[in-house]
Parts: sequence; structure tokens; C-alpha cells
Amino acid sequence: MGEMEQMKKEADGLKTQIEAARKAVADTTMSAASAAVAPAPRVQLKTRRTLKGHLAKIYAMHWATDSRLMVSASQDGKLLIWDSHSGNKINAVPLKSSWVMTCSYAPSGNLVASGGLDNMCTVYNLKTPVVKTVKELDAHTGYLACCRFLSDSEILTASGDTTCALWDIESGKQKTVFLNHVGDCMCLSLSPDMNTFISGACDSLAKLWDVRDGTCKQTFQGHTSDVNAISFFHNGNTVITGSDDCTCKMFDLRADQEVISYQDAQLNAGVTSLALSVSGRLMFAGYDDFNCNIWDTLKGEKVGVLSGHDNRVSCTGVPPDGMCVCTGSWDSFLKIWN
Amino acid sequence: MDEMDLPQMKKEVESLKYQLAFKREKSSKTVTDLVKWIEEVVPEDPFLNPELMKNNPWVEKGKCIIL
Repeated sequence: MGEMEQMKKEADGLKTQIEAARKAVADTTMSAASAAVAPAPRVQLKTRRTLKGHLAKIYAMHWATDSRLMVSASQDGKLLIWDSHSGNKINAVPLKSSWVMTCSYAPSGNLVASGGLDNMCTVYNLKTPVVKTVKELDAHTGYLACCRFLSDSEILTASGDTTCALWDIESGKQKTVFLNHVGDCMCLSLSPDMNTFISGACDSLAKLWDVRDGTCKQTFQGHTSDVNAISFFHNGNTVITGSDDCTCKMFDLRADQEVISYQDAQLNAGVTSLALSVSGRLMFAGYDDFNCNIWDTLKGEKVGVLSGHDNRVSCTGVPPDGMCVCTGSWDSFLKIWN
Repeated sequence: MDEMDLPQMKKEVESLKYQLAFKREKSSKTVTDLVKWIEEVVPEDPFLNPELMKNNPWVEKGKCIIL
């Protein structure tokens, strides 16, 4: 047997062992564990603000840590910084490349970042009299699908070149590269303690990584298509993913497996984005069919829907104080709901 | 896996060995812990605790303002 054949056999054997190890600890279901919990009430939210200003499809949005400001990115070639309370635009950042796919607000509020088909992550300083480009982080060989700041000096990126990377912003260099996905990386979420992050990719897998040493610690399978959205629960032990296979799934990190799937026979649209309420009991998932469905994460039931956009909901976000949910759409508008 | 070359395949095997070694906990403990955690935080969740949503920054407080 050639060495390649041997390696493949060994890999398959290991995957079988991992599945067996998962089965061995699967001694309950979410259904059983949440049986005594009352179902979440029906959630009916009102649009409190419609933020108008972008001239083309919105691809991404991200809340600032003050739960008031937010950044949005559109293929009209702009990042807009909004005061969500008043609905006013605080800043407009013109982008060198209009093919933007992601944006992020630094926890400090000083910086924002964006990137897309230019394969770069560009970091901007919002606190200088005129918004200035701090750095262009250029090393990915594929599009930038997602970026998240750890601090003003470090940022994580997920790329269509199948890698994720941790960058030192000042030097503009990659400190760590995360190699293991075999499909375009589409999304990432940092754990609350910032020691790990989880990524979702077009190989239909989610992977948990050690931020510092670059190792892939765990791999979560179950989806049958691209994983477009991913988010950690605030407990740091649970993750929810959203996929082109029209389902969302909850993965338990400690048991190393899927514990419940959020799907509906009538739902035939891919999941583009998702956000969790502060307790994680409610999940807001954006779909290709222009809606955002609200799920009871413990019972696996739909408890509400946000209808109002005239095109695909491309991004959703709940601010740190949990007081609302924001949806962004290809119809060029952002809506604040609660 | 079909697209990998030999060095990549060797790395994949190493990674799988590492991932296999992970100390999995019983879901009867972990899922129960999760349900308990969520229940504990629900009172702090504005979407599920109407008291917290009373201070809604997007809703005008009174009907009239004194100029």
C-alpha cells in the first residue's frame, strides 16, 4: 500500500474513533435536558429605526462595545458609522475597494476594519480629525470573509483562501496562521475569554482553534453545506452555526458534538447570519428569503419572525447590552428592532 | 481529503490524533449545565425580561416634552 493510501486509511480510522468517542458521551438529548423548562414566549418586535444611507447591498455590520455606535459595510464602497439611538451617521469611510464583505469595530471604539475581494483587511483610525488608514493587512490569497479585533493591536481574519490568521496590526504581519479547513473560511467568532475562536467554512465544518499556538482543537460536523455564520454563547462552551443547508445547529464544545438543529420543513432558504440574545435563549437568524427568524435555542422552535426587508438579510447583530437586534440587508437598509 | 498531497495528509493525521485525545465530557452533564446557565442569565436578557426593556433607548419616554 502506498504511503498516501496508508495515511488515508489512518485518517479514516481516526475519524471513526472520534465518532465512537462522541457516541460514548452522548447520554442525553437537548429535548430531555430542557423538558422542565417552559417554552420561550412568542417574540414580536417592532422596527424602531430604519437606517438609510447606503446606496447598494449591505454585507456586514458590527456593534461597538458601547451598544450605541455601529459600523456597516456596503458594496457602494463605504463604511458608515451610525449612532443607532438618533439614527445619525457619525462617519463615512470611503473604501479603496468597493467589494467589501466584512467589517468590525474594535472593543476600544478607536478602530474599525473591513475587507473583501481585495484579499486585504484594512484598519482605520476613527479618532484622528479625518479618518485615516492605519494598516493594510495583505497576505491572504483569497477574499476576506470575516474579521474581528482582539484589541487595538491584534485582529483575526477568515479568508476564502481556506485559512484564518492572527495579525499584529502595527507590523502588518501575520503572527499565527490557522490551517486545517479545506474550503473557504466564511465566518469566525472569538470566545469570551479570547483564548480560542471558532471558524465556519465551505467545507461544511466548524473548527475550534487555540488563538496563540494555532492548533485546531476540535472539529464540528453535521452541516451539509457552507457554514456562513457562527457565534459563541457567552458561557464560552457552546456555539451556534448557520448554513446554506437552511439549518442552524448548536454544538456543545465540552461533549464535542451537535446537540440540536434548528430547521423547518417550510424553510428552504440558506442562513446568512445569526446573533444571540445575551442569555443565548433567543437566536436571530437571517435568511436568503428576506426574513430573520427568531428561535428558542433550548426547544428548537421558531418563536418569531422579523419581516420588513425587501431583499436578503445579510447580517444581524445584538449589541453587548442585549437591548435590540440589528438586521442589515441587500435592500441597502439597516433596521433596529426590539 | 482527496485534494491533499502527502505532507498535508500527514498533517491531517497528526491533527486528527490530537483532536481524538480531547477529553469529552458526558452530555448529561454539559447540556444540563448549559440549560442551567441559560436559565440563570435569562433575568438579565432584555428580550425575555420586560422590566429591562422598560428603559428602551429607541422609544420616547413621555408623550410630551417641556420646551
